[in-house]
Amino acid sequence: MAKKVKSVWVEEYRPKSIREMALPTAKVSGHKVDLAEDLTKFVKNFFKEMKRINAENKIIRVYNRTASEKERKEEVKIAPEKAAVLLEGPPGIGKTSIVFALANDLNMEVIETNASDTRTRDALENKLRETVKSRGIMDFVTQSKEKLILIDEVDGIYGTKDRGAVPTILDLIQSTQFPIIMCSNEYKQNLQPLYNKVRKFEVYPLSDDEVIKIAHNILKKENITNLKRGDLDLIVKKNNGDLRGVINDIQGIAQGSTEVDNKDLIFSLHRDTTEEIFALIRDLFQNVSTLREARDLTDKSDVDYNFLYKWVNENLISFIKINKEIANAYDNLSLADEIFGRIRRNQYWALLPYFYDLFAGGTSLAQSRKTSGFRRVTFPRYVVGGAFSLTNAERSLIDKINKTYEISQIEAIQDFIPFLKILCSTSRRQLKNVSDWLDLDAKEKKILK
Amino acid sequence: MNNEIPIWRIKYLPKNLDEVCGREKIKERLKSIIKQGNFPHLLFVGSEGIGKATLASLFSKEFLGRFYDANFKLIYANVPLTEEERKLARAEAYVSTSKIGSIAGKRITTPAFIQVKVKPFVQLKVLGEAPFKILIVKNFETLGSNQQGFRRLMEIYGSNCRMILITTKISGVIDPIVSRCQLFLISQVDLDSFKELMNKIANNESLEMEDGIIEILYKVSNGNISRAIDILQLSSIRRKKLTKNNLDEKKITKNILYEVAQKFQNDLVGSLLLMTLRGDFPKARELSRNIISNYKYNPHELFNLLLNELNKLPLSKFARIQLINLIADADFRAIDGLDSDIQISALLAKICLFSEHLS
Repeated sequence: MAKKVKSVWVEEYRPKSIREMALPTAKVSGHKVDLAEDLTKFVKNFFKEMKRINAENKIIRVYNRTASEKERKEEVKIAPEKAAVLLEGPPGIGKTSIVFALANDLNMEVIETNASDTRTRDALENKLRETVKSRGIMDFVTQSKEKLILIDEVDGIYGTKDRGAVPTILDLIQSTQFPIIMCSNEYKQNLQPLYNKVRKFEVYPLSDDEVIKIAHNILKKENITNLKRGDLDLIVKKNNGDLRGVINDIQGIAQGSTEVDNKDLIFSLHRDTTEEIFALIRDLFQNVSTLREARDLTDKSDVDYNFLYKWVNENLISFIKINKEIANAYDNLSLADEIFGRIRRNQYWALLPYFYDLFAGGTSLAQSRKTSGFRRVTFPRYVVGGAFSLTNAERSLIDKINKTYEISQIEAIQDFIPFLKILCSTSRRQLKNVSDWLDLDAKEKKILK
Repeated sequence: MNNEIPIWRIKYLPKNLDEVCGREKIKERLKSIIKQGNFPHLLFVGSEGIGKATLASLFSKEFLGRFYDANFKLIYANVPLTEEERKLARAEAYVSTSKIGSIAGKRITTPAFIQVKVKPFVQLKVLGEAPFKILIVKNFETLGSNQQGFRRLMEIYGSNCRMILITTKISGVIDPIVSRCQLFLISQVDLDSFKELMNKIANNESLEMEDGIIEILYKVSNGNISRAIDILQLSSIRRKKLTKNNLDEKKITKNILYEVAQKFQNDLVGSLLLMTLRGDFPKARELSRNIISNYKYNPHELFNLLLNELNKLPLSKFARIQLINLIADADFRAIDGLDSDIQISALLAKICLFSEHLS
C-alpha cells in the first residue's frame, strides 16, 4: 500500500454507507425509531412530494399568467415537516456521519454549512439560497446529482454575529428544492421556532461496547498493537459515548509515541465533559490554596467561563459552611458578576482578568480551612432572572381569567393567581368550582394545585 | 358554565361609578365631567391596589356610553411585549421604498411599545358618535424613557383620543407629561364606606363576624379592597371547616383572620427576611428561589419588598441602616450584573453574616 497523506482519522474512517455504520439509537417524541430507515424514507418522500408540488405550481403559474390580479392563486409550498428534520444529540456520536453516509448511499451531493461559517442572514442566503431555489442550467443538460443540505451545529447560531439566521432557515425550509437536515447538540431557546416546525430526532450515544468494537477495527487497520485493552476501556469510558473523541484520542496516542502505556498521556488528552466540571469545582474548593493555582486551574480548563461561574454559585455552599466566609465569597462572586455584565454590555474585555480572579480565587480563597472528603456537586439551576417570562400553561390560564376579569399578566402572577392557589388549596370542592368556572384543562389546573 | 362566580372579588366588582366604594368627592368630580362631556388628559395618582384603574375604566364606560367597546383601550405599561409584538414592531418600523417621501427606505425609531400598543389605537378615528376615544395606561411610571414618546402623541392625537394615565409614583412621571394632564389624587377608601361594603358582602353570603373584625381587615388589607375581599372569602371557608362539628362557633374570629392574612405574598418575603436574619443561608436561598420562580420578581422588585419588610421589623437604628446599606449595595450591583440569582444570594449571605452581630 502506498504511503497515504497523513489525515485525521475521524475523516478517514467516516462511514461510507449507512449500512456499514453502527447506528446510534434515536427517538422521536419518546418512541424509538430506526434512523437509517426513517431518514431514507424522509429523503425519498421529499422528492416525491416536491415532484407533485412542482407539477401543481406549474399549472398555477400557467393559470396566473392569464388570470386577473385578483384571481391569481398562491403557489403551493411544501409542508415544513416534510422539508426538513432535526437531529439532536451530544457531540461526536455520528450525526454528521449519518448524513454523509446517507447522501453517499442515495448518490447525492451534500451542501454543508456549520458553525465555522458566519451565519448572518446574508451569508446564509448567499451560500444556500441559490442552490435551494434553483437548479443550475447544467442540471437540465446533464443528469447531475441531487443535493442534500446539511445545516450542522444549528445550536451554534446565536448572538449578534448570526443575527437573523433562524428566520432565514425557516424561510429556506419553506422554499427549498432539496431536503434539509439540521444537526444540533442541545436544546436552545432561540431555536424554538424551528422545533415547532420540524420533526426532531433525539439521537443517543452508542454503547461503550460498540465504541470499543469500532476502535478495535481502526487499531487493526492502522496496525497499532501497543494500546492495551485496559487503556482503551479507559479512553472509551472517559469520552462517554463520544465516538469522535475516542478516535481522536487513539490517534493522538498512536502518533504521539510508540510506547503507549502512559495513562497521564491519556488524561492529558481529555475532552470537555460534565465530569470535568465536577472535578474542576472540587479542585477549586478543596485543593487550591493560592491565587496562582486558582488562575492556573481556570486557564487550563476549556470549560466555558460563561457557565463556570454559575457552577461556582450553585456549589459554593456545599464547600463553605461558615457564614462569614460565605458572605466574603459572595461579595467577590457578585462583584465578578457585575464586572462580567459590564464586559458583556460595553465590551470592556480588559476587565476579564478581574472577573476570573474574583469568581475563582475570590470564592475559593475565602475559606480559612479547606474541606476534605467527598462533597456533592450539582448542576446549576437556571433560575429565570431579569425578563418576565411565562410558561404556556400560565399564559393560557391568564387568558382565561381575562375573559371575565381584566387584569395584567404581572398582576395575575403576583396577586391573583397566588390567591387562587390559596383558595384552591383549602378544599377539592373549591378547586373544582374555580376550574369549572374558568373552564380549565389539566395543565392549568396543575398550576393552581 | 356555572352562573355563580366562585371568586368574591370578581363577584363584587363594582359595575358602575355609584357602586364604587367611598371616595365621594372624586366620584362627584368625575360625574360632573361626564355631564359636561369633555375633559383634558387625566393623571390618576394613588397608592397601590386602591382601585384607580377600576375608577378610571368605570368612568370611561359611563362617559362613552354605548360606544364604550369600540373607543376604549386599557394597556399595561409594565407588561413586556411578546415575541410577536416585537416582530410586528420591527416590521412596521420599516418604510417601504415604494412610498414617497424622505423617510422612504428608512427605519422609524419609535419605541416598540408605542409603535405596537399605543399608536394603532390613537391614530384610528373615533367610531360612532362618541366625542373622542379613551386610552388608559396603567403603571405609567414604569415606561421610563418611553414616556418621552407620549409627549407628542398627547398633543398630536389629543383631539382624537384622551388619555388617562395611572401611576403610583408621581415622581416617576416626567414633568412635561404632568403639565399636560389634570391631576386626580385618589385616596384610600375611608373606614365607613369600607364597613358598609364589607357588611353588604357579609349579609349576602350570610357571614357572621366578631366585633372589630372589619377594622382589622381594613388595616391588614391596606386599603386594597380586592385583597380585603379575598381575605374575607378565605376566612369564611376556614370557618366552615373549623365548625364542622361545633356549630356554636359560627363567627369569623380574629384568629382566623390573622391566620388567613398571613398566607399572602408579602409575608413570604417577610419570612425570607426573618429566616435570613436567623442566619441559615442555604434555607434562605432555597426560599428566595421559590419566591422568584413563583412570583417572577426581578431582583430590583425583590430588594424593594425586602426593604419594606425591613422597615416593619423592630430593629435598632444602627442595625436598620446597616441592612439598608446592604440592600442598596446589592440593588446597585444587580443593575449591571447578569445573574440575578448570584446577586440575591450575595445579599442573603451578607445579611446572614450581619445577623451574627445582632444577637
